[in-house]
Amino acid sequence: MSTPDCRHARLHIGAAPHELPAEVTSHLAGCAECRRFHDETVSLDARLRSALEVPLSRFRQPPPRTRRFALAASVVLALLVAGGAWLLNPRPALAGDVASHVIHEAGSWDKQQVLSGADIDAVLHQAGVKYDSSMPVIYAMACPFRGRQVPHLVVQTAEGPMTVMLLMHEKIAARSEFSEHGFRGVLLPAGDGAVAVLSRGAAPSESLQREIVAGIN
Amino acid sequence: MKPAPRGTTGAAPFTRLLEMLRPDLLRFACWLARDRSVAEDVVQETLIRAWKSREELKDPAAARPWLFTIARREHARLYERKRLPTVDVDSVEALGDPALASEGDAALHDLRGAIMQLPDEYREPLVMQVLGGFSTAEIAGELGLTQAAVLTRLFRARNRLRTIYGLEPAEDVE
Repeated sequence: MSTPDCRHARLHIGAAPHELPAEVTSHLAGCAECRRFHDETVSLDARLRSALEVPLSRFRQPPPRTRRFALAASVVLALLVAGGAWLLNPRPALAGDVASHVIHEAGSWDKQQVLSGADIDAVLHQAGVKYDSSMPVIYAMACPFRGRQVPHLVVQTAEGPMTVMLLMHEKIAARSEFSEHGFRGVLLPAGDGAVAVLSRGAAPSESLQREIVAGIN
Repeated sequence: MKPAPRGTTGAAPFTRLLEMLRPDLLRFACWLARDRSVAEDVVQETLIRAWKSREELKDPAAARPWLFTIARREHARLYERKRLPTVDVDSVEALGDPALASEGDAALHDLRGAIMQLPDEYREPLVMQVLGGFSTAEIAGELGLTQAAVLTRLFRARNRLRTIYGLEPAEDVE
């Protein structure tokens, strides 16, 4: 590096090659060495961008147990906050609670990998619920919900991914459809409790609803 | 306070916006945290915070940097609150970048590994700039540094990566 101008130029080029001040741009016009440094850095930056835009699948998934605990920590915090509000306010509608819960686990929709029967059983066992899904399950978590652990599943269906929450401690009188926070869904009586089925698109069809309820033992 | 336009903060459009940006947000958090489970915690906290503050987002086009800023702060807060152990660079080297799965393009994999091994003070502004699209002035404001300090950190970050890319390192700056 030969001159103070070159040092100044290289600091800017090396730091922010796409955000050069006017004096550096002028310097480049008359300095072949700095121009070469600039070209190299721009080329490096293109590669750098490719490296950083790594597909998410390249970041190793944490072991399931660790991940479940990590998620649970956040959910517990949310539950504590919600619990405080619950003491002061009337019990909100079940559909609204379900939709609010699903919003906070937006990542559940992004899963691609079908879970093994053992993974699903572990979640169901934790919540003390039995459910035989005939459809592939891509997300399963035992989530705190209204003071209970409930299985929160996402299943792949012919109508797209659907969230299924098995609410065995919630009694409802009849089937009711709802539209909350951008989700379309339905609450269905199932066994001694209820099941919520939510979609980001159209509401689940009646045949799909029947199929899901049929899996609950 | 004047209410935000419904198109920005209505529940359904805002949820769609969060869903659309979540993969980018998770990628950004993974690079900051170097640990996917921590990154997922950061993203979850970010989404909750964003949802509660959605009235603040006046322009959906600004959602990406807005969310990235929240995520960076959540990441910093998480370390302050939980005093999480920092990742030891030597152990990262010894284990061959455990946070990243390998792939066919060895050079790109090496570059990712080298980025992972950058000290936090270099990696954070670099990720904010290249992945987040922040200007050096914005990074300085966000990190509480002078713009000159940010320039130096970014220069040194790239300088360390030049050798991985097969280039001669440049003379260091004062």
